[in-house]
Amino acid sequence: MSRQAITLSRLNRAIAGYLSQPSLTDVWVVAELMDVRENRGHCYMELVEKHPDTGAVTARMRAAIWASNYGRISASFRAATGQSLTSGLKVLLCGTVNYHPAYGLSLVISDIDPSYTMGEAERKRREILERLQREGILDDNRSLPWPETALRVAIISAPGAAGYGDFINQLYHNPSRLRFTVRLFPALMQGERTPASVMSALRAIADESDLWDCVVIIRGGGASSELQAFDDYALACDVAQFPLPVIVGIGHERDVTVLDYVANMRVKTPTAAAEWLISYGEKALERLQLIGSEILRVATERISGSRMQLAQLQSTLAIAPAAALERSGARLRQASASLAGIGARRISPEFMRLDQTLRAIATAGRTALERSAYRLKASQQLLDALSPDATLRRGFSLTMCEGRILRRASDLAEGATVTTRLAEGTFKSTVIKN
Amino acid sequence: MEKPQFRPVGELTYNQAVNELDGILRTMQSDSCDIDLLAAYTRRATELLTECRSRLTATDKELQAILAGLQQ
Repeated sequence: MSRQAITLSRLNRAIAGYLSQPSLTDVWVVAELMDVRENRGHCYMELVEKHPDTGAVTARMRAAIWASNYGRISASFRAATGQSLTSGLKVLLCGTVNYHPAYGLSLVISDIDPSYTMGEAERKRREILERLQREGILDDNRSLPWPETALRVAIISAPGAAGYGDFINQLYHNPSRLRFTVRLFPALMQGERTPASVMSALRAIADESDLWDCVVIIRGGGASSELQAFDDYALACDVAQFPLPVIVGIGHERDVTVLDYVANMRVKTPTAAAEWLISYGEKALERLQLIGSEILRVATERISGSRMQLAQLQSTLAIAPAAALERSGARLRQASASLAGIGARRISPEFMRLDQTLRAIATAGRTALERSAYRLKASQQLLDALSPDATLRRGFSLTMCEGRILRRASDLAEGATVTTRLAEGTFKSTVIKN
Repeated sequence: MEKPQFRPVGELTYNQAVNELDGILRTMQSDSCDIDLLAAYTRRATELLTECRSRLTATDKELQAILAGLQQ
């Protein structure tokens, strides 16, 4: 039984023929870059699509940018995004499906739209921040209080990096001669393994966190490429929850990563990180200076205050007795004055009552007198009617001898002189007895 | 008058030392501070300040040693 067989190359050429069609030519595709590498001016990579939740690879294809396009594409990509084409980036690319009989299936890339990657990076950053916010840890490290002094600094950096050298140089040549203690916890600061590497350095520091006041993550010099390694959820999570304040100095102004948001302090350069730590230490020195001069001032003040108090006591003692007497006298005067006041207040009503009584008595007296005078007048009239004068006026006369009124003729002796009183006038006569 | 008891400065953390300095300052500012204790407090404050400052700053010799150590 013979079978019709073709060669493999023929089969592959047939496949290539099938795939060579307009719907697979210059197609815009969204994919993530992996294993990006250059070789003789060409750029080779894997394109992958990952499950949004699990991160498992759900699609994969080899891809290449030929040297004829690579210079242009990578230059415009760098100009727009500030970074080179590296693994982990999500890109929008234009490619044509190509099937090479010897090398198999691949996508030949003719263009990349950098605006997609920029938006994508921003979106990813925002997603991580929102997630950290939801989990309530976004501000954890940022709200950590700084210790009184921050002189023991754990550094996470790539050993030998220019930034690390700048940092150490700045730190140890501070004019205040602050006594910094540092140790480098080496980590990869670029490439896909950056997050894992930095996280393991963080763990090493956390294991001896009582030895350190703060952590500085610095990435020195070099291009600002590959910052997207720091836009990593797990790393951001670790930094946000780190028990010591973290200073991040990994990029320049325009390159803000998620780490810059979650770290306690964000600076532009490693040198700036050192400057910040120096100024913080100098503040502690200033505080000491302030307390010292305040204590000196208070002590001096106290002593001179006590001296003044003594002098005052001395001068007070000299005049104290006289002053005390004067004060007692014044108190007495005041007391008597107020007593008089009280007396007057109590007595004057009594006086008024007395006045009233007096007036009543006077009125009563006057009335009684008037009544008496009237009665007297009536009596006078009666008396007048009964008086001898009235009898005399009626024609009677009164004869007296030796001052006595005569009532009997026998009482008269011969020749006695008697005086007779009439109503008007008197006359004398001599008695002749018959 | 009872003399205040002070711990040796070497046993204190920087924070404890600074807190004690604050406390001394407050005591000296308060009216209850006895003039007899003023000298003792001032002496203690000086001691604490010297210790704190020496913990913050290094001598030239120490600095050189540290830099030499880092360059290894």
